[in-house]
Amino acid sequence: MSSIDLKSPPKREDRLKACIAHGGTICEMAGAKGKKSCLHDDGERSFTQGSICLILPALAMLNTLPDNVVLLHSAIGCGGCTHSQNTNVRFGSNARWGRPKDGVWLSTAMDETDVITGGEEKLEKAIIEADRRYRPFSITVVAGCVPGIIGDDIDGVVQRVQPQVTAKLLPVHCEGFKTKIWATAYDAVYHGIGRTLLREGEQAPTEDGLAPFKGLERLPRTVNLMNVSSMGRVDEVELERLLTTLGLDVNVFPVFAHPENMVKATQAALSVSTCPTHDDYFLGYLEERFGVPSLIRHMPIGIENTGLWLRDVAARFGEEEKAERIIEHEERELREALEVFRPLFEGKRVFISAGEFRALATARLLEELGLTVSGIRSFHHDEFAEGEYRKLANSSKDDYVIDIANVQPFEEANLLKRIKPDLFLGHANGNGTAAKLGIPTHVIYNTGLAYIGYRGVYEVARRLYRQLKNPIYNRKLGENLRLPYSDAWYTADPFSHIDQRGGTAA
Amino acid sequence: MSDNFIERPRYVCALGGAAATIAALPGGIPILHSASGCAGNFAWAQNGGSGLQVGGYCGPLSIPSSNVQEREVVFGGDARLREQVESTLKVMDGQIYAILTGCVTEVIGDDIKTVVSDFRDQNVPIIGAETGGFKGNSYWGYDLALQSLFREFVERGAAKVKNSVNLWGVVPSADPFWRGNLEGVRRLLEALGLTVNSFFTSEDTIENIRGAGAASLNIVVSHVYGVEAAKLFEDIHGTPFLSLSLPVGASASEAFLRSVGKALKISRQKVNTVLSREKQAYFRFLEPLTDCLNDLDLQRYAIVVGDANYATALTKFLADDLGWLPELTVCTDPLEDEEKDRLTSQLNVLESRYKSTLVFETDGSRAIEHLQKKWPPAGGQKYHNAFSPAFVIGSSLERELAQTIGAPHLSVSFPVSNRAVLDRGYTGFRGGLRLTEDILSAVVAGR
Repeated sequence: MSSIDLKSPPKREDRLKACIAHGGTICEMAGAKGKKSCLHDDGERSFTQGSICLILPALAMLNTLPDNVVLLHSAIGCGGCTHSQNTNVRFGSNARWGRPKDGVWLSTAMDETDVITGGEEKLEKAIIEADRRYRPFSITVVAGCVPGIIGDDIDGVVQRVQPQVTAKLLPVHCEGFKTKIWATAYDAVYHGIGRTLLREGEQAPTEDGLAPFKGLERLPRTVNLMNVSSMGRVDEVELERLLTTLGLDVNVFPVFAHPENMVKATQAALSVSTCPTHDDYFLGYLEERFGVPSLIRHMPIGIENTGLWLRDVAARFGEEEKAERIIEHEERELREALEVFRPLFEGKRVFISAGEFRALATARLLEELGLTVSGIRSFHHDEFAEGEYRKLANSSKDDYVIDIANVQPFEEANLLKRIKPDLFLGHANGNGTAAKLGIPTHVIYNTGLAYIGYRGVYEVARRLYRQLKNPIYNRKLGENLRLPYSDAWYTADPFSHIDQRGGTAA
Repeated sequence: MSDNFIERPRYVCALGGAAATIAALPGGIPILHSASGCAGNFAWAQNGGSGLQVGGYCGPLSIPSSNVQEREVVFGGDARLREQVESTLKVMDGQIYAILTGCVTEVIGDDIKTVVSDFRDQNVPIIGAETGGFKGNSYWGYDLALQSLFREFVERGAAKVKNSVNLWGVVPSADPFWRGNLEGVRRLLEALGLTVNSFFTSEDTIENIRGAGAASLNIVVSHVYGVEAAKLFEDIHGTPFLSLSLPVGASASEAFLRSVGKALKISRQKVNTVLSREKQAYFRFLEPLTDCLNDLDLQRYAIVVGDANYATALTKFLADDLGWLPELTVCTDPLEDEEKDRLTSQLNVLESRYKSTLVFETDGSRAIEHLQKKWPPAGGQKYHNAFSPAFVIGSSLERELAQTIGAPHLSVSFPVSNRAVLDRGYTGFRGGLRLTEDILSAVVAGR
């Protein structure tokens, strides 16, 4: 029995031994100094700040699906994050179809009575009413903490109600207290898609069973380009451009894909990930059940990484020579275009903070622009990133700090005061600490901006050039605001709250 | 409205409202006793809904949180909470701390009261509130946080000081214009010669909040938000309260000042002096608008969509100050019948005697159905008295409605994703001028 047969996917701390609490260095993480047992024995912090749970990345994906209604089964606040993510839905719809459109999300708004008597009946009625009012192709039923803790069986409800409604019902498990690795969200959404829209046994019969969905043919030059919402349309266009030049057709999956057309993913000759933090769970499923092989190794951020990513794809189609020609041409053009920015970047020290793979790939990009990496904070750590740490260890003259932390800006504030970088790149809602310390900042992820491929390198350089040309705004913030930390904290060891107890705290 | 779901809820939960409230106090540090994702959810909600404002001194992702997991669900989270409070006092620099529970820790029955009282015994300025998300929305969380503040922090037994008042009823972050709105009301009260403690503005201090029990009157500029806290305040500290409409614009500000003046027995002459000064300045600003307002035919029909504060306050402004024709008022909060009655009665006493239809509808996309009941779409006839020219004032989610009926639009009530808000507020006479500017600017944007 594989994971897809379970009601919900395993959490990543079990499946990938992912961890969130560790203070180390680039050399240590690359294995040069004998790494601690962090992979098998995650630390615990005695002080923690809030972060996100898996509902947030799950909704970032689900709200983009056309003709889908998101129905949250939880207390009223869960899903409030959508107010910000709706920007991506509006801009994304406009970029793809010429019209901005708000996502449709609903909440069963579980109250005290539901907590006592159970929320299954309310959910049942909500599904039926949502089906009748909005007439969507699909309803994704997303469970938050409350049903998880009182024991509502959302899969049972979905099974009971499905015959009464026309929409396809996808249960998605996002009980936030069950995993500390929010990247489990990607597995949760893919799990719902796999079990509902791409069910086992619905492929055409062949000897090994590894064929596309029933009635569909294999498309020998089509690749699935996986996007779980970490790329905006502008980045998809860049990768489509490169893949098309190789002579390939591209099927972007799953954001903004109509649920009815998701079966197309089973027809592809190859699935290509752009971030190993995102897609391994589902790529395994497509491979095992539908015979679609996959690539999940490099993230096409930065010059070198984009080349590695493209070469990997090309090799699968025997297009190595073509890839070399493209890469040679693209790199020459790009390097010439970057010359004008380099003098401003040369030697400036940068601190990077984001999801692990994104942070590491972006660090390489910044090195390629002439900046020096002075520290990285990765939101979690798992085995997929080990090669990336090695790349960075090889390219750096000096050792520098690596903080594995699910946000935790207090550690970052302490580190930044010591390291005093010239530039900070952080995730959305994660640049405030550096900005209030007076450091120039730039967002490392925003679906309206370009980051990916050769175009992404150029656009990142252009934006950083702007920030560094006039960093006075943050400097004045730094002179006039203070962070909410005690003076004593800045003199303490930044990792003094990580006790490495391995999850045995009472 | 549906009994089974709420469409695109325009608020977060009680925990979110309470956290934003505590974080808005001077040196306020919330300590969430909850799952790890709650704080981030609030950060993203503010990012998308609060006019580009996320947090403040100790904003959402800086907020200490116990981040409970399955282990605490099985064994209880009290020990983790104690550890978290102790470490918070070492790392964070606050003037007041508040333990706020989320859904998970409340369902498992963690006892925060003992934890709070143990730390209070060590002279830590700390309070606690049970704000599990299933208890209600942001607005109720605001009320719960204030209740806890009044019960556990405001000192008891203070002698009342004449002409000293406390002011609340505007919910931080849930009202994107909360800072400007509070300051606007504060200025009105100060014009009457009152000493004002408003808890959340840059003029407020933690010492004044501790001494808030000395106020001779509490003024709640809401018929819903913070009203229960006002009752509790009266029980504990003996200060009576007035629950008044959010005074948006000139007409509402005049009524507001008269009510406060009456309650505090300020002489009619003094109130009149203040009013005449304010109105003189107000109309002097309006004076040069007269020609364009007329020549461009800027009077509009209107739909108002908003929370319990804005739905009626904006309707009154449009009808009584601008002389517009608000035909439909949609209040998107889920309210008790008695609260609905309070709002309904507000719209029955408009100075213009204009009647807007007030509906209570949590699902914004249904506003169009309510409109069409009153204003049926054209049926192919030659002459049709259409709902036009029209204006939509609501949240940024009303853009689709505005587009459907071909009307310009202004976002005021949460979520406001498409405007930058800092000190702008719509309360008071000056606020009325701001709102007039913003509404008319939206109408003439293509000029």
